[in-house]
Amino acid sequence: MIDARDIRKEYGGFVAVQGSSFSVDRGEVFGIIGPNGAGKTTTLKMLAGLLEPTSGSAEIAGLDTETAEMRQQLGFLPEESPLYEEMTPISYLKFFADLYDVDPDVAEERMHDTLDELELEHRDRKLGDMSKGMKRKVAIARSLINDPDVLIYDEPASGLDPLTTNYVIEFTEQLAKEGKTIVFSAHNLFHVESICDRVVIMNEGEIVARGDLEQLQAEYGHTRYHVYTTVDVPGAAKENGTYERVVESMEAVETTRRQAENRGGDVVDIRTEESSLEEVFLNVAEAGTRGTRYVEEDAE
Amino acid sequence: MQPDKLLRVAKWEVTKNAGGVDKRTIVVMALSLVAMGAVAAIAVSGGTGAGMDDGIYRIGVDESSPYYGVAADDRTFDIREPDPTAIERRQQELLYRGSQLQSVPRTAKERAALAELRDSTAQYNDRTLARDDNQTAAFPVSVTLVYEQQSGSSQLDPRGGDSSDGSGSADGSGTSTGGSGDGSDTGGTGGSATSSSGDGGTAGGSGANLGAIGARLTGDVQGGTPSDISPPFPFESLVLAFLYIVPMNFVIQAYGSSMLSERLNRRGELLLVTPASRGDIIGGKTLPYFVGAVGVAALITAALRFGNIAPAGSYVAVLAVVPLVVLFLSATFCGAMFARSFKELTFVTVTITVTLTSYAFVPAIFTDVTPIALISPLTLVVLDLTGQSVGLSSFVFSVTPPLLTGLVLFGLGAGLYREEDMFTQRPIPLKVLDALAGGINSRRSALKMSIILLPLVIVAELAAIAFLFVLDSVSLNVFGTNQSLGIVLVLGVIVVVEELAKSLHVYAGYEHARYERTLRSALGIGALSGLGFFIGEKGLLIARLSDLESLPIGEAALQGATLPAGLPLWVAGLLFLLPLALHTVTAAISSVGASRGRRAYLGGLVLAIVIHFAYNFAVVSTLV
Repeated sequence: MIDARDIRKEYGGFVAVQGSSFSVDRGEVFGIIGPNGAGKTTTLKMLAGLLEPTSGSAEIAGLDTETAEMRQQLGFLPEESPLYEEMTPISYLKFFADLYDVDPDVAEERMHDTLDELELEHRDRKLGDMSKGMKRKVAIARSLINDPDVLIYDEPASGLDPLTTNYVIEFTEQLAKEGKTIVFSAHNLFHVESICDRVVIMNEGEIVARGDLEQLQAEYGHTRYHVYTTVDVPGAAKENGTYERVVESMEAVETTRRQAENRGGDVVDIRTEESSLEEVFLNVAEAGTRGTRYVEEDAE
Repeated sequence: MQPDKLLRVAKWEVTKNAGGVDKRTIVVMALSLVAMGAVAAIAVSGGTGAGMDDGIYRIGVDESSPYYGVAADDRTFDIREPDPTAIERRQQELLYRGSQLQSVPRTAKERAALAELRDSTAQYNDRTLARDDNQTAAFPVSVTLVYEQQSGSSQLDPRGGDSSDGSGSADGSGTSTGGSGDGSDTGGTGGSATSSSGDGGTAGGSGANLGAIGARLTGDVQGGTPSDISPPFPFESLVLAFLYIVPMNFVIQAYGSSMLSERLNRRGELLLVTPASRGDIIGGKTLPYFVGAVGVAALITAALRFGNIAPAGSYVAVLAVVPLVVLFLSATFCGAMFARSFKELTFVTVTITVTLTSYAFVPAIFTDVTPIALISPLTLVVLDLTGQSVGLSSFVFSVTPPLLTGLVLFGLGAGLYREEDMFTQRPIPLKVLDALAGGINSRRSALKMSIILLPLVIVAELAAIAFLFVLDSVSLNVFGTNQSLGIVLVLGVIVVVEELAKSLHVYAGYEHARYERTLRSALGIGALSGLGFFIGEKGLLIARLSDLESLPIGEAALQGATLPAGLPLWVAGLLFLLPLALHTVTAAISSVGASRGRRAYLGGLVLAIVIHFAYNFAVVSTLV
């Protein structure tokens, strides 16, 4: 559905994105994560046709990202919600429906349905008088007014309170279930982990890792073993009548078992814990861009 | 560009902005406008309302006295019963019995009252005589007054001087004569006042028409004794030009604000991801303001026409305003693209207002004084409103430069209407370079950019001529030649403007890494820029549509574009090609400088200016 081929963006002498390639399948939720200044937003804007790549090209559904036909199929949500504050949500959404050539009756139904789903009240209030969360919901409704096949969401929950954040993430998850292709960036990696099928990690304008969560964990994460014993062993903490020791290798598990037996006790339970995406991300960030190892083959 | 999308953006621009102004503000604005209109109406009506000096002089006079009517017609007098003791008590200033003054003015106020009564008596007599059936007896002496231009006289309009129709008269300053005349052909632009003992009234040249409007505007339809004659002040041109230029300044404030608000907080970003193109968005957002400004001009023209103030006003006046509207809007659009904040936009729009108002308004004041006035389309408006025909050549000469300049400015601004330029906070000079660099993608762009920028050059040069021609009569000894100060200054302005136009886009190209920084490349780019300018400069031949060459300063300014008649072919060919060599060499010099950084560019530019000025000065000293 989305095909980015070696897209590169330079501002003067500064390279914001250096030759990124990836593809996103229809109905897939694709996450882009990375520290501030990594090139996530620039990449998303190149996909949305807002920025012209200095070199390389991007296509959505076989259409060049700078064509009007492609934009007709796209819903873009920038990190901020820059709305026309003197308009009401309804007039604002009608304006964009008009620009997308949406039939007025269809637009009317669609905007009310979406705002109902988003539980937006006070629809006759001016946007300038609304809270940040309400504005974000209107911005999301705008991105859906043309019923796009592809959604590009840049930090959709940025700056929102936890309740609204959860609501927005759940709504995005719902859109994914409806079959929308979504490219998604977020600082909160828990959200990415919960809804993304695949992820790329960017750093200093470059993709430094990519794959689904399991692949990333295997490559960059660690498996932790929680060993529970009946007696105290070095490095253990008492936990509900047993002693818990966290180790990171099977050898250490064996050592703990021997230590417990030597003290007249035994191992009663062993649990495994995989690294979170956040840990994977931190590990990747620590590794830096040198010696980048790709989990999967580069996109053609 | 898709017209349906453009119209949708336009519709929503109106809706959005209508929603941004609350009803109370609209009411307050409307009341303010009505109040301003009322004050203006009182002002132009000659103050027929309550005056501060009403009844300040008390005069004792009865109805049998011939001065009773005089005092009754003058609101400064308060008529009382004649009473000698009132004079003693200082309760009256003047006392008349019959036609005899009974009191001796002793105080300053009494003397002022007597002087006022004498003036009023003279005006009363003029009005009485003007109503007399026998005008020959009323005005036995006829004086024909013709104001001639001091130099470079030329008719703006082929029909301008042929206006004798024997139907009343007025002079260029708004005074008019009663009486009957035999007509006169003043042949000119200065206007005339005529009073004759013939059997028909006369009208002067174009000034007569202005006088007629002035009379209607001010209510001053009487007067005309020789002592009242004064040189015409183009008050009517000033008022008419003012009427059209003021609304434009209000429109651009709203337009600039709307455009800048798209950039602040990235509000315009979402429009850029819709299927609407950049052209649709810019066109749609501009259209309401364009229609509004032209609509206001049409309303003003209709009001003047049907209010019988300028019955000759027609669609020509409205058409002539169109390029000015385009110029004002385009300059504001560029300003809004360059400014980083509303504070900066205020500075930019004030600059635009002052510059463009000067360009459009000042020349139009002198509609009937000098052909230079035609550089402003407002002159066409004044000509049309005053019933003078506007020739096609005059129209084309007047509207083409501002129209093309407007389109160029829209093009430059549109180059910045994209995500990566709209929302950056670069200083204005760098934004200008960004805008110029937007049109550069290969070496050949240097040629294209020099041609594209030419309308800006033409407008700047014509404005320089308009503002400096008054210095034409001041002589200056330069390098042993006796040149007019005006010519020297115009040459200086022209040289600076032209060298900047040839080199600034080249510098922008280097700054944006569009060109290779080698000597060979710099020379080639400079030569192409010079060639482009030379080709475009021939566009200055549009000046032949005007009479600018009839003035020495105009001839000096246009020497690069036109050739003197009767030259041998080889000389004409040489003179034709010399400017090509000049432009190529000077552009190459500044291009080489531009390729080596800002300081080197400034050095190269100064050197190019010096060479260009020396060349122009030599040509002017020889040919003019």
